Amino acid sequence: MFWSKIWFFVVAVGAAIALTVALVMPRPAQRAAVQEETRRLTVACGVINILLEGDARNRVDLAGKFARNEDIERELADASAQATLDEKRMKTVRGIGETVMDGIKGKRNPAFAILIDRKGRVVARVRYEDSEFGDVLAGRPLVDDALAGYLRDDIWMFGRTTFLVAASPVIKGTEYVGAIVLGHKIDTEFAKKIVGKSLLVELGFYLNNDTLAATEAAALEQSTMAQGVAKLKGPELATDCTNDINTPLAVRAGGDSYSALVARLPGEAGARGAFYSVFAKKPAEIGFGATLGGATKDDLGFGSFPWILVGGGFLLALGVGIFLMLFEADRPLRRLAADTVKLAKGDSERLAEDIHPGKFGSIARSVNIHIDKLGREAKTAKKDLDQLLGPAPEGSLGTIDLLATALPSIRPGGAAPAVSPPPSEFRFGDSGSQPARMPTPPPSRPGTPPPVRKTPPAFPAISTPTPQPRPPQDLVGTGFEAAGNNSPSITAQSAPPLTLDDDILGGSQAAQLPKSPESSPRVDPYFRQVYDQFLAVKKSCNEPTSGLTYEKFSEKLVKNRDDLIAKTGCREVRFTVYIKEGKAALKATPVKEE
Amino acid sequence: MHRLALPVILVSVVHHNTAANPVHGKIELPTAPERPPPTVKGFVDRVENPKKPIQGVPVTPLLLVALEKDGDTAKPESPGQVKWDLVGDSFAKPVIGAPAGAQVVIRNTSNTARTLVALEDPKLIQTGLINPKIGERSFNTTEPKIYTITDKDAPHLIGRVVVVNTPYVANVDAAGKFELDVPEGSYKLRVFFKDHWLAQTETVTVAAKGKTEPTIKIASLANPTEKAK
Repeated sequence: MFWSKIWFFVVAVGAAIALTVALVMPRPAQRAAVQEETRRLTVACGVINILLEGDARNRVDLAGKFARNEDIERELADASAQATLDEKRMKTVRGIGETVMDGIKGKRNPAFAILIDRKGRVVARVRYEDSEFGDVLAGRPLVDDALAGYLRDDIWMFGRTTFLVAASPVIKGTEYVGAIVLGHKIDTEFAKKIVGKSLLVELGFYLNNDTLAATEAAALEQSTMAQGVAKLKGPELATDCTNDINTPLAVRAGGDSYSALVARLPGEAGARGAFYSVFAKKPAEIGFGATLGGATKDDLGFGSFPWILVGGGFLLALGVGIFLMLFEADRPLRRLAADTVKLAKGDSERLAEDIHPGKFGSIARSVNIHIDKLGREAKTAKKDLDQLLGPAPEGSLGTIDLLATALPSIRPGGAAPAVSPPPSEFRFGDSGSQPARMPTPPPSRPGTPPPVRKTPPAFPAISTPTPQPRPPQDLVGTGFEAAGNNSPSITAQSAPPLTLDDDILGGSQAAQLPKSPESSPRVDPYFRQVYDQFLAVKKSCNEPTSGLTYEKFSEKLVKNRDDLIAKTGCREVRFTVYIKEGKAALKATPVKEE
Repeated sequence: MHRLALPVILVSVVHHNTAANPVHGKIELPTAPERPPPTVKGFVDRVENPKKPIQGVPVTPLLLVALEKDGDTAKPESPGQVKWDLVGDSFAKPVIGAPAGAQVVIRNTSNTARTLVALEDPKLIQTGLINPKIGERSFNTTEPKIYTITDKDAPHLIGRVVVVNTPYVANVDAAGKFELDVPEGSYKLRVFFKDHWLAQTETVTVAAKGKTEPTIKIASLANPTEKAK
């Protein structure tokens, strides 16, 4: 079994490794997916920043063209020369502005235009609060720069509305006469236009916890994004997208999870906390189940899956396992089974230990140990009976017949029984119908002197009826005690051993024992027959028979029978009358099976 | 000149009660400093227009002239009221002088409601929106000090109130000229630029009769404190 265990261990380790690999494999894929998502968001964020810069250049160019309109130059020069501005002038300038804005249709049409004179006063507004004029916009960095001669852009907020603004100085001849400001609203349309369809991300513009515009209506957790923006401290806003500390944020919108990368917006709005976010729905977690669920038929095709390798490995594992099972378990087991069958049939008296490997050898050794034990017990029992009743007569069953049905015919304890036990159907009542059998002389055994053979009477082997089970009692040293079955006060240990004659022929102790009514044996035909035989043999040996009564004799037989049954577990006890050293003797033979 | 003259006259008229002689001075400025980098940038850097050079920083709106009587450190008597207009995204004058003890009244003539605060003393101006067109907010000055007034929602909106221990304080016009009515005597002329007093001072003697026309040539507009650093 050693190699089977090794193989089982190897297969188990292989299975554990395979399971570990199966569970671990999605993790690198998940990391790769996260990295890919981060890369995608970073790229998209950078692209959007570039697009916003490009849009700003276009708007600045547009403002420059707007400022080069001669009518605007003229009107702003005139307004700059006035101490106060009136509504009539405002309407005139506004009309010119409307005309110019209409002329730039088809391009990116601004949401509003503001025309400012050299002093920074608003001469007119077009399409946004267009009735207001005269207030001073100088002071705003964009306007101050434009009045100084710069073209630039900014992000302004009017209330909750955010505008991308661009300004240009208005120069008439060699004089600065004012500036114009064009504004483009940041709205959903603008966000969608910036993102386009190729970036595969969403875009949102936010001011702290307020959404200014977004391509998707999902209400993202803006507090999380605002916290992310707060970490961005560097002066270069253009590097926000690639900043190492700026990693995609996990934000939720309703039941959906998104990854969002934030970047600050520049200008006045940026100074107030405005930012934009590039976000996308998080891909599903790539776990073992998801990986398995994502497999397609193509993944299991012969072209993409190493079926030969997997199948070969499976067959190899199976084959080696079966071989080892046969080699180390099945075949030795069959061998042991066959060996035990031989043992049962009596073809062998022991199991062969050397031919059975491993545990099977242990089983064989254990069985052999028990066989040896039983043999020793049989010898002991025989010795006890021999001591009790004398050696078995030649040809009698003797104590050696005690295990006749459980042990092989050839046993270490002695030769095979000379006389086979009587058939189970044999009864004392049937003794007349059975032929009388003479006991065959037993083979000589070492240490056991052969009995002196005189003329052995031919007595039939008579079996006793099966008694009810009784508590076991120690037979050793008891001899033919006169204790009755129902006399617990008198035990075998308390009674001294008696000789057969002392006992049966009215020994002092046996005669002194009280006799209870229950212990008085009734006349048993078998016991009576044995008694008669015993009496006859005694007479033939010229032994005295006075005092020998059937009651005492049968009582001893019952006691002897019960003790033997209790000790050996036999079913029956057969009594044989024989002559020992010129005297009548009685031999009890346990019969285990019929 | 026309926009600057009004507050100059206003301040000097309000505070004079005795025979005063006109002082028509002129500040000769050094080369205008270059426009600093933008504090707020857009998506793209600002670019110069191809037609005309960039204008320098206008210095004169940021100048203030004060005449302090030699050895007189007492607060002006009955300094009166100083009115200061908020005209949009800036004050009509980015810097204004106020005698110590004067009341400064800020009038919001713009279209936008503002919430103003003095950075040096947040409790100086009553909190709350100042309504457009008609809204006013006033505060009293006590000691010579420089107050920076701004709107936290519009950080670009900055004005400074310069409280001085003399009633003779005036802005200068685009040409660097200023006018004050000052009693006879010897005075120390100090110049305030943007957010600091210049280290340079001049002594001006006002005669009993006639116009006094001092000309002060400014050597540097630098902040002496920063220069010392």
